[in-house]
Amino acid sequence: MARELIARVHGLTKRFGDRTVLSDVDLEIAKGEFVALLGRSGSGKSTLLRILAGLDAEVEGEAEVTGTVSVAFQQPRLLPWRKVWRNVVLGLPGRGRDREVATRALAEVRLDGHADAWPRTLSGGEAQRVSLARALVREPDLLLLDEPFGALDALTRLAMHRLVEDLWNEHQPGVLLVTHDVDEALLLADRVLVLGEGDIVAEHQLAAARPRTLSDHLDVRAKVLADLGASDHATA
Amino acid sequence: MSLSATDVLARPEEVTGSPPRAARRRRLPDLRRWISPLALLVLWQVASSTGVLPPDKLSSPWTVLQAGIETARSGELGDAFAVSIVRVGLGFLVGAAVALVLGVVAGLSRWGGVLIDPPVQMLRTLPFLGLIPLFILWFGIGEEPKIVLVALGVAFPLYLNVYSGIRNVDDHLVEATTALGFTRWERLVHVVLPAAVPQTLVGLRQSLGVAWLALIVGETVNADAGLGYLITNAREFLRTDVIVVGLIVYAALGLITDALVRLIERRALRWRGN
Repeated sequence: MARELIARVHGLTKRFGDRTVLSDVDLEIAKGEFVALLGRSGSGKSTLLRILAGLDAEVEGEAEVTGTVSVAFQQPRLLPWRKVWRNVVLGLPGRGRDREVATRALAEVRLDGHADAWPRTLSGGEAQRVSLARALVREPDLLLLDEPFGALDALTRLAMHRLVEDLWNEHQPGVLLVTHDVDEALLLADRVLVLGEGDIVAEHQLAAARPRTLSDHLDVRAKVLADLGASDHATA
Repeated sequence: MSLSATDVLARPEEVTGSPPRAARRRRLPDLRRWISPLALLVLWQVASSTGVLPPDKLSSPWTVLQAGIETARSGELGDAFAVSIVRVGLGFLVGAAVALVLGVVAGLSRWGGVLIDPPVQMLRTLPFLGLIPLFILWFGIGEEPKIVLVALGVAFPLYLNVYSGIRNVDDHLVEATTALGFTRWERLVHVVLPAAVPQTLVGLRQSLGVAWLALIVGETVNADAGLGYLITNAREFLRTDVIVVGLIVYAALGLITDALVRLIERRALRWRGN
C-alpha cells in the first residue's frame, strides 16, 4: 500500500562544530500519522524537529516537508504585547487581524473567554493551549510538537493529552511529537521512534485503537525503556 | 497592636476583594508624610521672620510666593518659561531623532553595530556639560549652543537603551514567528520593535531628566532670555526670592515631564500588567 508522505528525511546529518548530533537519519511521516520521537536529553530529537520546522538549514542530507508546517514549543512563546486572540492568528496572512477565525480556534481549545486577555495573565496550561490553537489554525499538514507538555503540572498534562488527541482526530494533521515521556508517547502515537546517539535505534508500531489507557501497551513500554537504556522496575 | 488612620482607611478596599490595581490607585495618600516637609517650611518662615535668615541669602517662603505672583503677573515668568520650553523641546526632538535612528540601525544590523556603537560609547564618557566652551566657540552665544547641549544630553541615554532593547530581544520569540512564516520585515515590526519599547521608555525618562539639567546649565552660563536668564538676572539684584521662583519652576517642569512619561508607559505597557 503506497502511503502519501508529508515528511521525508533521508541521510540527514547535523554537526555543531566537531560534535555530530544527528548522523545519517532516515524518517518518513505519512499524511495524518501521529509519530512520537523519544530520546534522552541531548539525543538530538529537538534538533531534528527544528530542521523539519525550517529553523535550521545548515545540514547534510535531505529533509523535505510537503505542505504547511506548524510548531508548538515547550514554552508557549506568545507575543506578550498582543492580546490572546491576535496571537492565535499570527500565523495567518493578516498577522493578527481575523478575529472570527481566532474565536473559533480558541473555542476548540476551550479558551473562549480569554480572547481579550494579555498572554502574561494566563496560566502555563492556558498559554500552551493558545500556542496549540496558534499552530492548528494554520491547518498544517505537519504539526511539530517539541515537548509541549514538559513544563506543565501532571494534571494539566493529562488534560492536554486528551485535547491533543481530540484536535488530531478533528484536523488529521501529520504529527511529530518530540518527548522524553514514554507514557505520553504510548498514549498518543501510531508509531514510536527511539533516538539514541544521533540515529533512530528502534521503531514500534502501535495498534490504532483509541482512547488508550496507560496499561494498553505495557509490552511495548518495556521494550522502549530497554531501547532507551533504562530498566523499568515497575513492570519488571 | 495599634492601627493608624490610614490603615483603617485602606482596610475596607482590601476586604471587598476589588482587583489590586484599582485598589492601589484609589488608596488615600499617607498624610503623615506631609508632616516633616510642612514643619521645615514653617521653620524656614520663622527663621526669615526673626531675621536669623537674611533675605539677601534666602527670602522667606511668603516673599517667594509673592515674587512668583508678581513675575507671573508682569509676564516676565511666562516669557522666560516659553523661551526655555522651546529650547528644551527643540533640543529633545533633535537628540531623540538622532538617538532613535542610530540605536535602531546599530541594534538591527551587524555592521551598523560594529561601526556606530564604538564611537558612541567613547563619546558618552565625555562629560557633555564640559563641552560648553567648545560649543560657544562653534555656535556663538545664541540659541544653538543651548539646543545642541540639550540634544546631546538627550541622545546618549536614549541611544543606549534603544540599542540594548533591540539587542536583547528574546530569540525564542523571533524563532517562533519565523516558524509561523514571518518575513524579516514582519519580524521587525511585530517582534523586535515592540520588544524594545519598554527599554526605550526607560531611556526616554532618563533623557528627559538630563534634558532639563542640560538646559539649566546652558542657560545659566550664558543667556539673554529664559528661566536661566531670569535667575542670573535676579542674582545681580540680590533677588533671592526670584531665584527660588525660577528653581521651583524648573523642578515643576521636571516633575511634569516625568509624569508624562509614566502616563505613556502605563498606556504602552499595559500588557506587562503589574
